[in-house]
Amino acid sequence: MRRTSLAFFLLVFAVGVGMAQESPYIVTYDHHLEEPGNLEIETYTTLGIPRSNQSFYAAPWMEIEYGVTGRWTSEFYLEGQGTAGDSAVFTGWRWENRFRPLKREHWINPVLYLEYENTSEASRIQKEIVGGAPDVESPNSDLQSTKNHELEGKLILSSTVHDWNIAGNFITEKNLSRGEGFEFGYAFGFSRPLATLASGTPCRFCRENFIAGVEFYGGLGSTEDGVGVRDTAHYVAPVLSWQVSENASIHFSPGIALTGQGSPVLIRFGYSYEVRGFGSKLSQWLGGKH
Amino acid sequence: MTGFLKPALLVVILQAAGLSQNTTYQQDPNWQAPGSAISRANPLARRPDAAAGGQKLFHRNCVECHGEDGSGLVKKHAADLQLSVVQQQTDGTLFWKITNGNPDRGMPPFSNLPELQRWQIVLYLRSLKPSSDQPTKQK
Repeated sequence: MRRTSLAFFLLVFAVGVGMAQESPYIVTYDHHLEEPGNLEIETYTTLGIPRSNQSFYAAPWMEIEYGVTGRWTSEFYLEGQGTAGDSAVFTGWRWENRFRPLKREHWINPVLYLEYENTSEASRIQKEIVGGAPDVESPNSDLQSTKNHELEGKLILSSTVHDWNIAGNFITEKNLSRGEGFEFGYAFGFSRPLATLASGTPCRFCRENFIAGVEFYGGLGSTEDGVGVRDTAHYVAPVLSWQVSENASIHFSPGIALTGQGSPVLIRFGYSYEVRGFGSKLSQWLGGKH
Repeated sequence: MTGFLKPALLVVILQAAGLSQNTTYQQDPNWQAPGSAISRANPLARRPDAAAGGQKLFHRNCVECHGEDGSGLVKKHAADLQLSVVQQQTDGTLFWKITNGNPDRGMPPFSNLPELQRWQIVLYLRSLKPSSDQPTKQK
């Protein structure tokens, strides 16, 4: 047990401090992609605090993100959830790709996002909210049998203004398994590092290692049930990320519901670890040139 | 004999130093900062103490491709930052290149770093000792 704890401690607080700062957002995407050849392993959890007719749930997911090129990042997800008094289930996988069409930094930087989801109706990670609100009341046995094959597209617009990042995502999703029409959603966020000048000495708790911000996200209905905000879930969520070591960061965000749909509070937290030069190392192991 | 050995040893050391650098580096002719960026002055130019933070940032973000001494790793096709062809560029140009990167040539943009931190890196780059440029390095 002590060895496991030590290994975890070393992984989290690996020697050295900080590298290119991670985005603090959990739902919103900005225009920064993974560096080419780097692999990032992330694990997150969404905790759903229940209303009176709901049950507490925890929905963990794991992301493996790889910088294919300087303008293309690909990411694979595995997700599940466990509901108090019900069951724990594996809810599926996702494969997302982000493309940056423009080579240089602009006032507004667009990124195109395309994702395929193979998930069940029991999915509760709420990595994005589209349509109305996720069903967090029906038992897993009912929800797990309904499988969804979905395509999701996002237009990500992101800007850096005086060290503030401002990002907006416009989301549309099409369920290929059933005729639900097109569902819509949004995410918007802004954030800033707590210090903009790096200190000359290594430090873990310096303000420069923290980024704080706020994000807003929610559903905007569907072509089937009507586009708009009626009966949709919306959240406001402060976000905080802490670069704890050269390769690792910790993220935290409590989301407060602005409407009566879905869970009233979503507590999200995660840990990400970056393996730099993974592509080169893999190529070396496989006997390639690099 | 000793008189011969000393210069020979010096030549060998200089050759070895040259081998560790990215002598194959060629500048991308299309990677040019716009005029407005070239003329920007480093707001930290009068704060040499900020270079220490720049060194830390350099080690976090740049060493993987440019190496500990900035001489550039051949396998990463990264620029030798000690070369005069790099050092002769203005602070504004270097800042622009750090900010925008050159994604199609493997250099990621570092616009996610705060502006002052990018200027700190520029400050530190100026402290990298220029190597004696070989004609083969400046293609």
